[in-house]
Amino acid sequence: MTSIRIRKGYDINIAGTPSCDVEKLEKPTRVALLPERIPFIKPRLKVKVDDQVNVGSPIFEDKQNPDFIFLSPGGGRITKIDYGPRRIIKEIIIALDQDEGHEIFPMINEAQLEDIEREALVQMLTAGGLWPLFRELPFRNIPNPQSFPPSIIISLGSKEPFQPVPEVYLKDKVDLFEFGIKILNKLTRTLFISASPDNNFVPDRLNTHVTHTCEGVYPADDPGVLLYTIKKHPDENRAWYINGQDVILLAMLFKTGKYPVDRTVVLGGILAREKKHLQTRMGVPLNHITKGHADDTGAARHIVGGIFNGYTGSKDSYMGFYETSLVLIPEGDEKEFFGFARPGFNKPSRSRAFLSVFNPSAMPMECNQHGENRACVNCGFCAEVCPVDILPQFTYKSILADEIEEALDHGLLDCVECGLCTYVCPSKVKLSVVLKNTKKAYYLEQL
Amino acid sequence: MKFLKNFFESNRKQFSEGGRFEKLHPFFDAVETFFFIPGIVTKTEPHVRDSLDLKRFMSMVIVALIPPLFFGIYNTGYQSNLASGLPLTFMAVSLKGLQIVLPIIIVSYAVGLAWETLFASIRKHNISEGFLVTGLLFPLTLPPTIPLWQVALGISFGVIFGKEIFGGTGRNFLNPALTGRAFLFFAYPVKMTGDTVWTVVSGVNSQVVDTFSGATPLAVSAIQGSADFLESLLLKAGFTFPKLFYGLYPGTIGGTSALMCLLGAILLILTGIASYRIILGGIMGVLFAAFPGYIIGLIYGESSVPMLTLNPFYHLVMGGAAFGITYMATDPVSAPGMNISKWIYGFAIGALTVLIRIFNPAFPEGIMLAILFMNLFSPLLDHFEIQFRLKKRVPNV
Repeated sequence: MTSIRIRKGYDINIAGTPSCDVEKLEKPTRVALLPERIPFIKPRLKVKVDDQVNVGSPIFEDKQNPDFIFLSPGGGRITKIDYGPRRIIKEIIIALDQDEGHEIFPMINEAQLEDIEREALVQMLTAGGLWPLFRELPFRNIPNPQSFPPSIIISLGSKEPFQPVPEVYLKDKVDLFEFGIKILNKLTRTLFISASPDNNFVPDRLNTHVTHTCEGVYPADDPGVLLYTIKKHPDENRAWYINGQDVILLAMLFKTGKYPVDRTVVLGGILAREKKHLQTRMGVPLNHITKGHADDTGAARHIVGGIFNGYTGSKDSYMGFYETSLVLIPEGDEKEFFGFARPGFNKPSRSRAFLSVFNPSAMPMECNQHGENRACVNCGFCAEVCPVDILPQFTYKSILADEIEEALDHGLLDCVECGLCTYVCPSKVKLSVVLKNTKKAYYLEQL
Repeated sequence: MKFLKNFFESNRKQFSEGGRFEKLHPFFDAVETFFFIPGIVTKTEPHVRDSLDLKRFMSMVIVALIPPLFFGIYNTGYQSNLASGLPLTFMAVSLKGLQIVLPIIIVSYAVGLAWETLFASIRKHNISEGFLVTGLLFPLTLPPTIPLWQVALGISFGVIFGKEIFGGTGRNFLNPALTGRAFLFFAYPVKMTGDTVWTVVSGVNSQVVDTFSGATPLAVSAIQGSADFLESLLLKAGFTFPKLFYGLYPGTIGGTSALMCLLGAILLILTGIASYRIILGGIMGVLFAAFPGYIIGLIYGESSVPMLTLNPFYHLVMGGAAFGITYMATDPVSAPGMNISKWIYGFAIGALTVLIRIFNPAFPEGIMLAILFMNLFSPLLDHFEIQFRLKKRVPNV
């Protein structure tokens, strides 16, 4: 076990983080698939409205790579396919039956796994609809099943304040997790498993498997940060990663022969009354999660997927394929009288320009931008927090000047999209968004 | 508060698109955001943002400027009353200082803001807070006798040619306040240098009282050919080290007191607004460049250039070195952005200041030219440090 220390980054001191309590939610009436939220996918539908589907029936595939099949998270009737602007498919909604039918997939035990060929295993994972759980760095796209990764990274950290913590989702499932690791070992020669030393659960239970302990603040647990810290050669850049919770799904597919739809999600934010982990399933409606756990959801912004990387969902929308976090925080669109001149004992800030430096307690935060957009004044705060040593202020300027080569030299593709540069910017420049969009455009050019 | 809110709401439509004063929208916005942090919410991830904005950032510099400003007002009044033979009570002196300094500051802010509004209105963006600092820094570097029309001219030059023609705040490569000062310095040397400009003389016959000499310590030091040690020369003129440090002597409005600049520097470093690297680098540069001359003076006893043998610490407390290093060199826009570059930049500013003082008696004060000169080099310093840094990265393309 190697221990590494990530020096840069920042832990925001936000109130409303979830506890480790777990509650099992009852069965929802509807679930949905959100093709719009799956990166770089052009969906081709395999069903139409009023079709009857089972759990695990193919719903759509990717037009560019038909190996990427997305399966139904529920058994029942397709009630609605919701299109957005330019006929983008936003939601495919399935009304659940009382007794859901399941598609049957081949089952494999440990002994059979030893003998199986890699191609056959990949074939089973793609047919089982779980291939999209793998993502490829640096673009975070779904990897080509024919390619061979230099390494696969599993991160068991939880530095993002609103993501499920490993001690909750691994509880009673360590055996499944170990089986999942065996599956991954068939797919790659090098498997990195990182864990945070702050939390003893993972290193204790899985000490034979954990390869790295990453000490540091957010986003020290990001697979991209681990890769940046340990890589020695450009060949290692295209590593794959998979979420710790999703490793259990791989194992469940092979153990049960059914498409696994269980998810542990987190409900947090100051507007949630009960902030905790919830055991539910994939694609549940947001109001199914908030029901009984939050009082006034009307005023809240529903952030799906974490405050740093998530998107704003409407109240009537659904959890996506990847998202495991729902945060309810106020919009905060009120004006503040003489806001810039106040001592700011309760104003969370990374800088030392407010009296909040002396306030260690977690502070409520809103979606207010706290100021108007201004030109970059080269204060360098962004470079101080960037965990992968990009100089965001210079990289962003080279992007705006269309000097893509220079931006790439600066390490644009190492960007882990943590969003900290945007968070700290006093001029409110959306550096991380510019970097992320440029990466995306660059990936699409390469196709 | 409620009243103000209603006032802005009822007048908003006049200043929005299609309104009568549509062109003045940046001005309206500047005034409104002065009173209220706008209720803008994030549209993309990350959904929460730090509480620090540019207004707070720049206000911290203003707060750090309060000690030199208040002391400058007192000192200006004190020197004026001393020279005019008027009473030296605290009230009398402060009022006199206000009477002299306030018009200069008001003209600087008003004229500068007018230009900022004009450019913001043409470019259709909001007025940047950087001007709040420029508009206060500039008057503090001027002699108290400056005619108000020259203040207006100087700040106009600083704002237009130091900043706006390059695209406004964030895109300027020179410090705008110093650009304005340099313009006045070279265009109207009679009003910016010499023994008579540093004290406002008033009173019955507008005559200087006999015992008063208006010379600044730098002017005393620049006298050529004296066989005496400079320190004793300064002592003869009444400039002891503590006096130089506290700053109660004729000079620019805000730049005389090293103590006040030290207070400001401590605040700026503690809040993390100014780079401690530049400030410490600057101090080291001054001491380092002045040290060899001091040693030569100790060994050989005399020198034809008296400034050469001056104790290095005198360089820090004399003239505008402390003010320049604390407030001017640390302007993040015109300073380099990389850490090692900041050390080099600060160090070079300090060293050049001393070298100009020693070897170019035509310019008794070197800090202004040193900072402007190093401003030109900061992109180059950044470039080399970035290139060096990028070599260590594992390529990822």
